Amino acid sequence: MTDLITRWLGLELKSPLVLGASPLTDELDTLKACVQAGAGAVVMHSLFEEQLVAEQMAAHKFIDSRINMDAEARSFFPESEIFEMGSGSYLQRLQQLKTELGVPVIASLNGISPGGWTQHARELEQAGADAIELNLYDLATDAGDTADTLEQRQLAVIRSVVEQVSVPVSVKLSPFYSALPAFVAGVEAAGARGLVLFNRFYQPDIDLEQLALSREVVLSTSAELPLRLHAMARLYNRTGLDMAASGGVHTGDDAAKAILSGATVVQLVSTVLQHGPAAFERLGGELTTRLASIGYQSLQEARGALSLDNVPDAGTWERLNYARLLHGWPSSL
Amino acid sequence: MEFRTLDGNEAVASVAYRLSETIAIYPITPASVMGEHADDWAALGKTNVWGQVPGVVEMQSEAGAAGAMHGALQAGSLVTTFTASQGLLLMLPNLYKIAGELTPFCMHVAARSLATHALSIFCDHSDVMSARGTGFALLASGSVQEAQDMAAIGHAVTLESRVPVMHFFDGFRTSHEIAKIVPLRDDELKALVPYQGIEAHRNRRMTPDHPVLRGTSQNPDAFFQSREAANRFYQAFPDHLEAVMSRFADVTGRQYKLFDYVGHPEAERVLILMGSGAECAHETVEWLMAKGEKVGVLKVRLFRPFATERFLKALPDTVQHLAVLDRTKEPGAQGEPLLLEVSGALMEAFSRGDRPNLPRVIGGCYGLSSREFTPAMVCAVFEQLQEPAPKTRFTVGVRDDVTHLSLEVDSELDIESPETRRALFFGLGADGTVSSNKASIKILGEGTDLFAQGHFVYDSKKSGATTVSHLRFGPHPIRSSYQISQAQFVAVHAPQFLEKFDVLEHAAPGATVLLNVPWPAEQAWDQLSVEAQRVLVERKARLFVIDAASVAEQAGLDRRINTVMQVCFFALADILPRDEAIAHIKESIRQTWGRRGPEVVRRNVEAVDSALDNLHEVPVPGSVTATRTRPPRVPEHAPDFVQKVTRLLMDGQGDKLPVSAFPVDGTWPTGTSQYEKRAIAQEIPIWESDLCVQCNFCTMICPHTAIISKVFEPDSAKDAPDSFLAVPETHTPELEGLDYRVQVAPEDCTGCGLCVEVCPAKDRTQPKRKAINMRPVGEHVDDEATNLAFLRNLPDVPRDRIPRDFKSLPLLIPLFEYSGACAGCGETPYIRLLTQLLGDRLMIANATGCSSIYGGNLPTTPYTVNADGRGPTWNNSLFEDAAELGLGMRMGLGKLAGRARQLLEDMKAPLPVELYQALTSPCVTLDESAMAARRAAVVQLRNWLESQQGSEAQELDNLADELCPKSVWVIGGDGWAYDIGYGGLDHALASGQNIKLLVLDTEVYSNTGGQQSKATPMGAVAKFAAAGKETRKKDLGLLAMSYGHVYVAQIAIQSHSNQATKALQEAESFDGPALIIAHSPCIAHGYDLVHSPAQQKRAVDSWAWPLYRFDPRRIEEGLPPLQLDSVRQKVPMKAYMQEEARFRMLELRDPQRYELLVANASDAAKEQRELYMQLAGIHFEPHDPVNEKTAGDGERHD
Repeated sequence: MTDLITRWLGLELKSPLVLGASPLTDELDTLKACVQAGAGAVVMHSLFEEQLVAEQMAAHKFIDSRINMDAEARSFFPESEIFEMGSGSYLQRLQQLKTELGVPVIASLNGISPGGWTQHARELEQAGADAIELNLYDLATDAGDTADTLEQRQLAVIRSVVEQVSVPVSVKLSPFYSALPAFVAGVEAAGARGLVLFNRFYQPDIDLEQLALSREVVLSTSAELPLRLHAMARLYNRTGLDMAASGGVHTGDDAAKAILSGATVVQLVSTVLQHGPAAFERLGGELTTRLASIGYQSLQEARGALSLDNVPDAGTWERLNYARLLHGWPSSL
Repeated sequence: MEFRTLDGNEAVASVAYRLSETIAIYPITPASVMGEHADDWAALGKTNVWGQVPGVVEMQSEAGAAGAMHGALQAGSLVTTFTASQGLLLMLPNLYKIAGELTPFCMHVAARSLATHALSIFCDHSDVMSARGTGFALLASGSVQEAQDMAAIGHAVTLESRVPVMHFFDGFRTSHEIAKIVPLRDDELKALVPYQGIEAHRNRRMTPDHPVLRGTSQNPDAFFQSREAANRFYQAFPDHLEAVMSRFADVTGRQYKLFDYVGHPEAERVLILMGSGAECAHETVEWLMAKGEKVGVLKVRLFRPFATERFLKALPDTVQHLAVLDRTKEPGAQGEPLLLEVSGALMEAFSRGDRPNLPRVIGGCYGLSSREFTPAMVCAVFEQLQEPAPKTRFTVGVRDDVTHLSLEVDSELDIESPETRRALFFGLGADGTVSSNKASIKILGEGTDLFAQGHFVYDSKKSGATTVSHLRFGPHPIRSSYQISQAQFVAVHAPQFLEKFDVLEHAAPGATVLLNVPWPAEQAWDQLSVEAQRVLVERKARLFVIDAASVAEQAGLDRRINTVMQVCFFALADILPRDEAIAHIKESIRQTWGRRGPEVVRRNVEAVDSALDNLHEVPVPGSVTATRTRPPRVPEHAPDFVQKVTRLLMDGQGDKLPVSAFPVDGTWPTGTSQYEKRAIAQEIPIWESDLCVQCNFCTMICPHTAIISKVFEPDSAKDAPDSFLAVPETHTPELEGLDYRVQVAPEDCTGCGLCVEVCPAKDRTQPKRKAINMRPVGEHVDDEATNLAFLRNLPDVPRDRIPRDFKSLPLLIPLFEYSGACAGCGETPYIRLLTQLLGDRLMIANATGCSSIYGGNLPTTPYTVNADGRGPTWNNSLFEDAAELGLGMRMGLGKLAGRARQLLEDMKAPLPVELYQALTSPCVTLDESAMAARRAAVVQLRNWLESQQGSEAQELDNLADELCPKSVWVIGGDGWAYDIGYGGLDHALASGQNIKLLVLDTEVYSNTGGQQSKATPMGAVAKFAAAGKETRKKDLGLLAMSYGHVYVAQIAIQSHSNQATKALQEAESFDGPALIIAHSPCIAHGYDLVHSPAQQKRAVDSWAWPLYRFDPRRIEEGLPPLQLDSVRQKVPMKAYMQEEARFRMLELRDPQRYELLVANASDAAKEQRELYMQLAGIHFEPHDPVNEKTAGDGERHD
């Protein structure tokens, strides 16, 4: 029986299988069932910078500007002092999860401006977050923004959040960096403790009927996993940061591959949305069975066994991979 | 001394709340705010002076509130309520009961006109005076301070005297005026209301422990004596009141009397009046005394019971001439109520020998419906008293050129102290001007030694409304209970006002004028019209400009300019040091918006910081340089009545019109909104004919009929302007050969964007370009205005050519256009569609509410006429009785039509047979061919009748139009249908009469500001449901279905116009009562209404708003009467609820309760769906008269 205990950002987790940031944050009963089924920690959905701002400004526009504009209707809602459009409900939820779940609760922040919003990090810490997952989501559409500008901006955000809090901070990245190891070195220097690889972008699809973008959320599949495996294998031992695999883990074998590539924890979302909290129990069982069948006594032993440094055929993780596949293609026909 | 700046409503509510245990209310302007405060305070757990949180209940009507008050009083509770106008009328029966039972009770009335020839939300005393026979003591106050104080005195004296008290103050003038007052502390209130009085009240309560019986039915032998037995309480009341007023003076230092005299101790001429007008008289009397005149004013605090002795004592013995002013009108009375009371008291004193002489007494009416009452008018009355033969009955404040009752007034007179700073602000409803002015008053009132006053005037439009703020600041208490005529500071917050109103006419000589304009400072002068320049030059004004909209926009405030303009006001008005003022503004922003979140504060503060950099002085030259004059307010072709009357009402100059200009009975022409070009949109939809698929969705959804689709004969448009493009109609076979155009009304559009939102046609190379797109108004307004005028004059194609499917219906001529409804209103498309279907045969009975305001509030009305001069005829009776009004219309119509048919029968012999047949063949309102034929036959009949002699022929000529069928529709909101008018609605449905009821369901009282109704859905936050409504929405449709003979449909036109148009036509064709419940997105739901089609679809898909039609005719066809038009629940309830602030607020405040109510709402929808699915599966045996009879016989034998 392989011991699944792991350490993530200095927190001891009973299992590497962690519920990733998802809408399930709002469903207390489901979260409890996930923990019951073996989830080692819970990441809350993101406190989303733009959403907070948008909601405040929407309230300002659609509620506050409709005060004192009509002889008969002074306003259209009860006195607004009894509710607020800030981070309050998120913090309340965080406190509730801390009390009810019994596993580490990691709060998540999503934003790109290093301005005032990073103060929310401190609020999250005060509300009891065991760690903060910082979701960097920054799309370049301006031709004047160079990669360096964007990266420096992101590092500044990391620094400002790390400065705000004493709990560990992990950073959730997109897969699109030209020089991932160099950027990761910067992330580490900025004070972060962990990496979450990778963000599955909200990527709108195209609706051919309507000639419009469609906003449906598409769940991940196992096919998305190799991108993560590749990145972790390249980074393992080249960074002091803990790594979490996020995206594409649907089976115990998927999880085993992530750990062999260097992951400390494995975040699950899509499979839980599809199959419910029982996914933790199933994946936990499959993972244990697989690792045990190989002969690993502990997770520590398995971690990074197939990383760039340890794998017998390291070229497969590198550029050679490309050439061989091309070369081999005709013969497989 | 501690001061607070607040309005009369809050000041009164604060006292009443703290001295009560039970509060039963119902929203009504201008008293709603008092009930809302009470509800808010209770939600926040604020206690009364005895440490209890009062129970607040909103009832289904004021009649209901009065019943609940009566019950709570009988149980021994301390009770209050707040009301006005029609609400007070509905309470009257219970007020007689409460007084008859000598029950301590104090209520507060923000006095408002009663609806007579018209509704008015504004102030006079006609409501209170209608209650003067109830046995309540009537206590008047005239300012915010007095209103607070008299409220406390009222609560105290009723407990001591057992006589219930109605405290009243002037609606809007006092209820909405913000003033700096000394607030009453809890300990002061407690000292005023001794425990003994409470105990005595409680000891009289109903309890089975000491059972009594009240509310007996009495006979001639007992009733009279019982009424007389109460006399001594009324006799003792003045003593009690005087004692309480003395105690009040001991506690607070403010001494009131039953009659407060102000003026010369040896005055010869005295005015007597009550309410806020007395404050203006007070101010004027002091001014006249300073000029050496022997004048005075007697302020009546206690009107009933009229305390004759104290009245006589208060009046100086020297008085020779008295004028009694009543703020009410009782047509046909010997005099108005206060005049009669005063006259009677004097006459009695003289005849008893208590007075050696009788002063000459004259009586006048003033201030009806908040008509201004100014020092000039007070002076006019004093002057009249000096006339050798004064008018014994007069009016002041109106020019009566018919019965010549009015007094001449010197409109130039200005007596205001030069020490009082006066500022006027012209703002748009949505730009926050009033809110920031309220904040400014607070800053100056509570942060300095200055006294402050704010009075706010709103027009009646719900989109693009104009507000005027009147602010006064000064070292002395401010008694000026009238609007500012000469201001040292005038701010014009929207550039378009300069083109529409004479906004600068109120600038005093040397005034500072601040304009928010989009032009650079160096171009500003040249942009002004001749009229604006002339005022600035003549008054030697200083002119400042700022492009506040850009400043606000740069700060991310979306053109909300109020904080920017507030900074400029403080910078220019020079009342506070600039830095201090700015620090105060920032603090006020933090206090007000801090709870919204830091970003809101940050952006507002940023706007404050950049304001002054953008404020520029524009030198005013010595002469006018402009050549451009202000455009005419209404087009030259407008009818004479519009030119002479409506135009002045639009200009805000209506009060200068004489009596003779007005209809004598409240009858007004329709079709006038087309002349009120409000031009409030910054962007308007522009049609791209190459992309258009002619679906007419834009026309179907437009809330203001500002987009119309029209088909016309190509030949008729030969002389079209160059910019007038049209394309062949290609999507409807019946319309082949016609041309088609979509036309915007550029100066009537509100810019809501709904038309663009629903437009399905896209440019495939650039899908963001649709067949209509929002474009800057300036680039298109001239062309489109020309095009619109051309289009309106194109001949209509015959109505029967246009198919009655949902895509073609919008091509019918709408007879409801350009209303003042909110941008994005979800109600108006239903009304417009109704007028397209039935407009020239439509009678409307409209309940009071939004639809009566945008439908019938002057100056202009949106109902209009077709080329034949026919169109909807409309009446608003009351809030509660629209269904009954409609029922009566149908009954009355039936009688007239019956008489016409009777006359026709009488003349059958000489009448040509074909004509007789044409006039008696079947004809229903929806059959266009039959209607056209019938109308033609009526014309023939009239021609024929010309050759006939006798009174019957004349009578038939008069009634001939009644041979064409008419349609009667009742329109109202959910407050009417579910609450106050439900009894009547139910009865109208039960009657079986052929009337149709359209419920525009916004699920909340929209017009009075978002109070919950029984239509409010579970989980929604509304006023009186601040914690989220816990109970389900009433299923009005199911209740109506239970009759079996009523056509019922629930519809949602924005997302499901096909079903909606079917339902409206089925309802009309049904020969019996029909109820249509129409989903109406509203700004009270708290989201951007441009998304309302999608949100309405979510409402339908989640079963929050199931679509169905219940048609009793289907039973005859062997079909279940109920058809579900939405069967599946396609999205979870939460997906619908999370998109609206009314639900989201609850989630933010109490997530667990939100989850619970979402779950309960989901369950409710599921249960409703299951029930409806079963109902939709029921099959009845078709009616068989023979079998029914047999079955009946069988029962009898049992």
